[in-house]
Amino acid sequence: MADNILQVKNLKISFRTVSGTVKAVRDISFNLQRGETLAIVGESGSGKSVTSKAILGILAGNAIIEGGEILYDGKDLLRIGEDDMHKIRGDKISMIFQDPLSSLDPIVKIGKQITEAMLLKNKANRRAGRREFNAMLAALEAHMVEAAGRENEEKVAEIKRLVKLFDSFNIEALRLESAYNEAYTQAEELIADIEDFLFRVEHRQKLDVRGRLVAFGKKLALVSDPFLTSGFEDRTAEMAALLREQVNAIGDKFEFARAYLRKLIGKESTSEVSAEVVGTLERLKGLLGEIVSRARPNFFRIGYCKLSGQDISLAGRTVEELNEFALAYLEEHFMREFFGLATAGLGHSFAAALEGKREVVAAAEKVRTFFRGEFTRKEAKALYRELVACVDRSIDRLEPIKDSVAYTFRTSFRSAIARYFFYKKNNPKEEARFARQTRRRDALIAKGKTVDWKVVPKVVMDLDGEIENILSVYERLAKKYEAEIAAAEQVDLNEKCYALIDFFKDKASQVVYRVTKRMAREKAIKLMDEVGIPEPRIRFYQYPFEFSGGMRQRIVIAIALAANPDILICDEPTTALDVTIQAQILELINKLKAERNLSVIFITHDLGVVANMADKIAVMYAGKIVEYGTADDVFYDPRHPYTWALLSSMPDLDTDEKLDAIPGTPPNMIYPPKGDAFAERNKYALKIDFEEQPPMFRVSDTHYAATWLLHPDAPKVPVPKAITDRIARMKKLVGGKDGK
Amino acid sequence: MENNNEVLLRVEHLCQYFKMGRKELKAVDDVSFEVKKGEVFGLVGESGCGKTTTGRSIIKLYDITSGDIYFKGQRICAGTRSYRDAIAAAKKAFRSEAKALRASAKEDPAKAEEVVAQIAEKRKALQAVIDENKRKIASANYDHKNCDRAYAATLLEELKGEYAPKFAAAEGDEEALKKLRGEYRKKCAVARKTKLITRIQMIFQDPIASLNPRMTVREIVSEGLVINGIRDKAYIDEKVYEMLELVGLVREHAGRYPHEFSGGQRQRIGIARSVIMRPDMIIADEPISALDVSIQAQVINLLNDLREKLGLTILFIAHDLSVVKYFSDRIGVMYFGKMVELASSDEIFAHPLHPYTRSLLSAIPLPDPHYEKQRTRITYNPIAEHDYSTDKPSLREVCPGHFVYCNDAEEQKYRSELGL
Repeated sequence: MADNILQVKNLKISFRTVSGTVKAVRDISFNLQRGETLAIVGESGSGKSVTSKAILGILAGNAIIEGGEILYDGKDLLRIGEDDMHKIRGDKISMIFQDPLSSLDPIVKIGKQITEAMLLKNKANRRAGRREFNAMLAALEAHMVEAAGRENEEKVAEIKRLVKLFDSFNIEALRLESAYNEAYTQAEELIADIEDFLFRVEHRQKLDVRGRLVAFGKKLALVSDPFLTSGFEDRTAEMAALLREQVNAIGDKFEFARAYLRKLIGKESTSEVSAEVVGTLERLKGLLGEIVSRARPNFFRIGYCKLSGQDISLAGRTVEELNEFALAYLEEHFMREFFGLATAGLGHSFAAALEGKREVVAAAEKVRTFFRGEFTRKEAKALYRELVACVDRSIDRLEPIKDSVAYTFRTSFRSAIARYFFYKKNNPKEEARFARQTRRRDALIAKGKTVDWKVVPKVVMDLDGEIENILSVYERLAKKYEAEIAAAEQVDLNEKCYALIDFFKDKASQVVYRVTKRMAREKAIKLMDEVGIPEPRIRFYQYPFEFSGGMRQRIVIAIALAANPDILICDEPTTALDVTIQAQILELINKLKAERNLSVIFITHDLGVVANMADKIAVMYAGKIVEYGTADDVFYDPRHPYTWALLSSMPDLDTDEKLDAIPGTPPNMIYPPKGDAFAERNKYALKIDFEEQPPMFRVSDTHYAATWLLHPDAPKVPVPKAITDRIARMKKLVGGKDGK
Repeated sequence: MENNNEVLLRVEHLCQYFKMGRKELKAVDDVSFEVKKGEVFGLVGESGCGKTTTGRSIIKLYDITSGDIYFKGQRICAGTRSYRDAIAAAKKAFRSEAKALRASAKEDPAKAEEVVAQIAEKRKALQAVIDENKRKIASANYDHKNCDRAYAATLLEELKGEYAPKFAAAEGDEEALKKLRGEYRKKCAVARKTKLITRIQMIFQDPIASLNPRMTVREIVSEGLVINGIRDKAYIDEKVYEMLELVGLVREHAGRYPHEFSGGQRQRIGIARSVIMRPDMIIADEPISALDVSIQAQVINLLNDLREKLGLTILFIAHDLSVVKYFSDRIGVMYFGKMVELASSDEIFAHPLHPYTRSLLSAIPLPDPHYEKQRTRITYNPIAEHDYSTDKPSLREVCPGHFVYCNDAEEQKYRSELGL
């Protein structure tokens, strides 16, 4: 089963403006799967950017979210507060904006703009990591105790001891690891510094050689951790001595400073650095490279050994041997027992959740009859409480990946019920108001007066529809649970336990990972290198205006990727760029997507751009999705007239005849058309298109289109010739290439 | 299109440098091309390659650094840098030669007199070169400043020729003569103000930024006429309405302001503004890249219609190759201020020769997933592709009508590729 990372359901957004309410997004739904690219295609004003902004929670102040939900990681993004949103925005979901010129701050250097978010997010991440670690461990302990039986006091005490031990050796491991990391980053920084130095020497830039050498010596002293440098002690000491010697050779501090000043004032070049210094630094770089490339000790295991007083020094053995030894020791003295108990705890929690799920599924009939019949607010509230308690029991808290549908059940269900009662109360009022105003207006007109006001249209919701809405929230969950109950047999508890321990390790490393300014700088430079900016070391200190359009867009991508997000939203990232740069940026996004298993939402108006990027395509027009399908569906078997028009209105390299321009302009969304919004500009429009909105017709399992032409009674309209011609031509071209 | 060979615009060795602090930015460097009457000439290249600068230099928005631009046979722009450089080079050559001669004289005193004579001769030759170039500079400066005056003079001449028989016919009839004289005087006033450069008009990229938000559409469209000295309100209104209808707007739109229009309509206003002067040539600087997809096709169709109706010549600047291919008869590809390839549009897409053109063509995305998955982009790295250390490149005609920027070795290669 596909893993939906983001689900958008029945989203409706409008904007209050001076001249009326603009309905920007009118009831759209789509799913985004992990590692998949969804392209949203449409012209400006079709609501594609608004949708993406809603996902990030950065809609303009005059936006009204009229309904719907956006589910991500167990949360409904439309209903969480700004504090929670902060943790998601930029960190989990980030965005590349359309115009690189206006999305970068013109008076802040590029480097600062990239590192800013890293530094700010790091502190928050550390705290959040610790919190999640503790909460999960507490839950695990509780379930382990339950599984072993609460009355078995001996066992409970043993469990408590083990969990405490687990916690403390995790922390011990963290301490060791952070010391190691510190030394490791010092080494990496030193390598970078030396590279920087050598780069400057090569380019004959002015340099304070003595000062730099002294700094290198100081830094080299910091590269010392028993796990990092053991075995290299002699060589590092030798290098330190060499460095000192060379500093001495350059001379006394003041003497050197005077000479340096003289050179600065005079025309004499200061860039001559003796070959010896360069040689030494190159050797030092090599040594550090060796140190850094050594295998990493497994601190999770070593932490335990240290805690139980074992010998963990590297004397006389390699890192691999130490890892082996620590693994065996950990396995023998702790892990086997702990793992067994933890698996039991997991099993207990899983069984309890399964029971809860069964309850939820079993309640189906009751819920259905209840909501289909008469009910009061009080009764509904009671049932709501009961159900929510049931769902709460059915959630397996030891599941590292949160299940969006279950976690958001409470809020969705509550708001659906509240909506029903609101309209139940409001509908008659609204009807009365509308009747009253219409009467008044009619009376005035009957008297022969000119009336310069309109009756505000009534907002009346269909109550049956609202009930269906309530039920659909519940049924969605029930259906999911049914599938899970059916699959419960195959769940491997051992595997789950490994995943859980990995989760703990992950959170622990999150706690210990401290980003300093220098580290952020190095990471940013690496990132700039990754997105293809030449000479990142110099570029890091430049301002946005010193970059060309394509380079600027790369910077924006680097900023978006800095936090390692799950979802990347690209809002027309290449519209402002020309073809070659556009191709580079698209390749870059594709490459990063494959490397990091990103999910991408790609917004554009150019179908040509989408062809290579998208797995699925949603064509939007006037705030609605008019066609939805895989890339092959939409390009080779388009069904909606708007998609036809988009495909045939742009010339490609072999077009000779007059273009099929789409006449007119998109409709004014303050007064959205009653029927199909595209009917006005559509030469294939049927009569019904002007009267009623077409539903989504199913073409195949993956392909849907909202046009009356797909209705069984509709006349058969062939796909325009321009499109069929092009498909045939391209097929020949592709086939020809294959033949070679 | 009609296939005549009358050259409307000729650009020769156009250079446009901008001062950037101490350095100079060579935005356009030695570009030459011809635009024939009635054709659409497409100029493509990535952003910053100088295609817009070329367009703007032609319409005299910048004072060009070097080179000449001829429009209808008249030199309208001329730069002087190349002449100055020639003078400096000649002086330098003279100095080094003289130095060498003097050194030889020192070694061999017997030759001293001969050397003096030789130097004097050389100095004379140098003076001749300097005089020649100075004359050219003066003429270039004169043309650059006075091309409009010359054009106005020819217009006046034409008017004189046109009205002389009329005056002769109306001889004796005081009333008619007076009327004719008034008409003649008015037309002369307009002709005197007419500039040659108004025969070239421009359509700008961004329809929002290029229309003054405080002017009504009538004012925007008629501005050119007003500047040209036409005062007749009724005539202006008539013209404005005619143009609005021509570009697919209606009369009522004349009283509105630009913000009341959609993007496509705004671009239509920009087009109306440029065609009201009845230009011979239009420079369209990325007229559709700021527009929506569904509107782009409308504007392309409109430009195509206008071109047929008014017999326009269009210099079409764009970076969207599919559109350029669809719209242009000939295409020039620019890269970093140089014209690297120039040929008819079918030829350039069928047989691209320069590696940059190839990389550009390979980057066009097409709406076809299977094709796109197969498409491999060719990257262009000028340093790796070319070795110009000894053999200097220039724009050469590899086969009739197909020019490529290359050196001797590459020319051979390209020719063999074409099977010549």
